[in-house]
Amino acid sequence: MSSKHKRKLTEFLFLFPTLFAFVMVIIIPFILGIFYSFTDWQGTGAYSQIVGLTNYKAIFSEPGFLHSFLVTLLFTVLNIITVNVVAFVISLLVTSEIRGRNVYRAGFFIPNLIGGIVLGLVWQFIFSNILPSLGKALGWDAISKSLIANKDTVMLTMVIVNTWQYAGYIMLIYVASIQGISKSVLEAAEVDGATYWTRVTRIQIPLMANAFTISLFLTLTNSFKMYDVNVALTNGGPVAMFMGKPVQASELLALNIYQTAFKYNNMAQGQAKAVIFFVVLTIFSIIQVSYNKSKEVEA
Amino acid sequence: MKKILSLVLALAMVLAATSALADLVICQNKVEITTQMEAYAKLYTEKTGVPVKVITGGGSSDYNTVLKAEMQSGREPDIFVIEGLSGYELWKDRIADQTGAEWTKTCTAPFVVDGKTLGFPVAQEGYGLAYNKDILDKAGIDPATLTNRPALQAAFEKLDSMKAELGLDMVVAMVAGTTTNMTWVTGLHNFNVYLAGGLERGDNTIIDKVLAGEVDADRFHQYCQYVALLFKYSDPDMLLTGTQDSQLAAFVNGKAAFYHQGNWMDPTLVGMNPQFEIAYAPHAFLDTDTDGILADAASWYVVNEKGNKDEAIAYLNALCGTEEGANYMVKEAGMIPAFSNIVGEASTPLTKSVVEWAAAGKTYSWQQYKLWDGFGMGTLGPIYELLASGAVDVDTFEALMIDAIATRAAQ
Repeated sequence: MSSKHKRKLTEFLFLFPTLFAFVMVIIIPFILGIFYSFTDWQGTGAYSQIVGLTNYKAIFSEPGFLHSFLVTLLFTVLNIITVNVVAFVISLLVTSEIRGRNVYRAGFFIPNLIGGIVLGLVWQFIFSNILPSLGKALGWDAISKSLIANKDTVMLTMVIVNTWQYAGYIMLIYVASIQGISKSVLEAAEVDGATYWTRVTRIQIPLMANAFTISLFLTLTNSFKMYDVNVALTNGGPVAMFMGKPVQASELLALNIYQTAFKYNNMAQGQAKAVIFFVVLTIFSIIQVSYNKSKEVEA
Repeated sequence: MKKILSLVLALAMVLAATSALADLVICQNKVEITTQMEAYAKLYTEKTGVPVKVITGGGSSDYNTVLKAEMQSGREPDIFVIEGLSGYELWKDRIADQTGAEWTKTCTAPFVVDGKTLGFPVAQEGYGLAYNKDILDKAGIDPATLTNRPALQAAFEKLDSMKAELGLDMVVAMVAGTTTNMTWVTGLHNFNVYLAGGLERGDNTIIDKVLAGEVDADRFHQYCQYVALLFKYSDPDMLLTGTQDSQLAAFVNGKAAFYHQGNWMDPTLVGMNPQFEIAYAPHAFLDTDTDGILADAASWYVVNEKGNKDEAIAYLNALCGTEEGANYMVKEAGMIPAFSNIVGEASTPLTKSVVEWAAAGKTYSWQQYKLWDGFGMGTLGPIYELLASGAVDVDTFEALMIDAIATRAAQ
C-alpha cells in the first residue's frame, strides 16, 4: 500500500466514528423523513400508499399552521432584537471598570444553565400566580390577570423568558469579542477626544461584526426552533381566532409539528411540516449569515 | 456505543430467559399496582401451578415502547393491555377473539369490535359533578334533586348568593386552560356528557353522528347551555390558569361547592384530608332528568393470538370468577371491577360514589375515546377556552363546535 493510500485510510478511520453516528442519526432519518412526507405513514409499520403532495397541500389550508408560522416569525424578530440588545448592553457593563463584574458575569449566565422545561414552569408560576397576586394587592390592573392566559400578551412572556435565559449566553460571545479589541485603538480614540458613545458605535461595534454574525445566527436558529420553553411556559395557549377558526395563540412551529405528529397521530403530515420548517430556516440562515459576513471588517 | 449495545443485548437475554420460564407473560401499564399484581400472580401460580410473569411499563417508562420491545423479544406476552381504539388499531393482528369466554358472561364493559369480544376491562373509572355535602346542607340543597339543568342552575344561583356566608370563592371548581394543558377535562370528559349522558350503554347514535360530522341539534344546544352554566359559576382565573392541584385545593379547602374531576383524583384528595362528605351528582345537562354518572373502562386486557391463548383466557376467567381474583381487584388494587358478580367496596370518597352509582346500574359509557386522535384535546378544548375567557358567547361557541366537528369529519 502506498503511503498516500495509507494516509487516506487513516483519515477515514479517524473520521469513521463521528461520520457513522452522523449518518445514522441525522442523514438517514432526514432522508426517510422527506420520503415519509409524501406518504400516508402513521408511525407504526409501513406506509400503505404514496400520496404525493397531499400532505403539503393540506398544510397550507390549515389556519393553525399558518398562524404558527406568523407567530414564529414575530417571536424570532422580537427575540433577536431583545436578546442581542440586552446581551450587548450587559456585555458592555461587565467589561467596564464596574466593581464586582465577575459576579455579574456569572449571574447573567446562570439562567442559561437551567433547563427550558424547568424555566418554563417556574416562569409560568410567576406570570400566572405571583404577578396576579401582587397586582391585586397593589391594585395594578395590568398584571392582576395572568399575562400568559391573555392572547395579546402571551408572546411578550415568551420573549421575556427567552431573553432572560439566552442573553447571558450571547453576552459571553460579546464579552470575548470586546476583550479581543486592541486597547491601543480605544485609548487612541479617547486621547483624540472621542466620547464613550462614539467609541462604542464607531470602533467597538464595527470591530465586533464577526461576533454579531455568530450571535445573530444563534439567536435566529434558537428562536425559530424554540420548543422547550414554549411547551412548558404556555403549552401553545391561550386561544385566539385566526381566519375564522380557533388557533393556539403562542404555538410556535416546532410545537405545532410535534402536536401534529404525536397528539393528532398524523406522522406524515408532521413530517411535511418539518420539511417546510427546514427549508425556511435554511433560507433565513443563509441570508442572515451572508449579509452579516459582508459587514465584517478587519482592524 | 458498543458498551450500550452489549448491555441492551445482555438485558434482553436476561429478560428472555426469565420470561421463558413462565407459561404466562402479562405486560401491563399500571405502575401503581405492580406489587399487588405480582402478589396475585404468585397466588395464582400456587393454586393452578401455572407460572406467571408480570412485566410493567408506564410511569417514567412509556408503556407502548415497553410493549413493542416485548413483542420483538422473541417471547411475546400472552396478555397485554390496550388503551381503547388506538391500541386496537396498532395491535389488531395479534388480538384474539374471546367471544363466549366464561368472563364475558358477567362483564359489563367488554371491549367489542364488530360483535367480537376482544378485551377484559382492567377497571372502571368514573366522573360526575362531585359536591361538598356540608356546603349543600348549609345552603339547604338536597343533592338528590340535582338531576336536570334548571335544578342545577337554581342551586348554583343560591350558592352564588350565599358565597360570603359559606366562605366560597366559586361555586364550581373547574379547569379549561390550554396553557396548563387541561383541555382533556373539557374537550374529552366534559364533551362526553353530550356524547353519552343519559344514553344506554351500547347506544352509539350520538357519537356516530359526530363522527359523520353532525350533531343532534336540540341535545347539543342544551349541552352548550350547560357548559356556559358551569363556566359562569366557576372562577375565570381557575378556568384559565388553574391546574389539577389548584382545582383540587379549592374544593378540599371548602372554597368551591362542586368539583369537576373523576375518581382518579382520590389518592391525592385523601392525602389532603377533606373534612366533609363527598359524592357525585350527575352531569345533568338536559331540561329533562339525567340520573347517572359517566363511568367506564379505559383500558382492557387482550389475549395474544400467537401466545398461550388457553392459559391466558383461564387466567382472566379466574380474575373475575374466583374469590381471590375479586379480592385482588377490589381490596388489594383498589379498583372498580366492571363485573356484575363482583360488588365493589371502596374506602375513598370519589371511588365509593362511583361504586354506588354503578351498583344502582346508573352509569353511562365513555364515548370520548372514539373521537379522532387529538380532536377532543387539540381541537375542541381550545373552543371551550374561548367561552371560558369570554372571547365568544355561548351561541358562537355552539357554532364553532359544530363547525369544528363538520370540518374534521370532512377530512
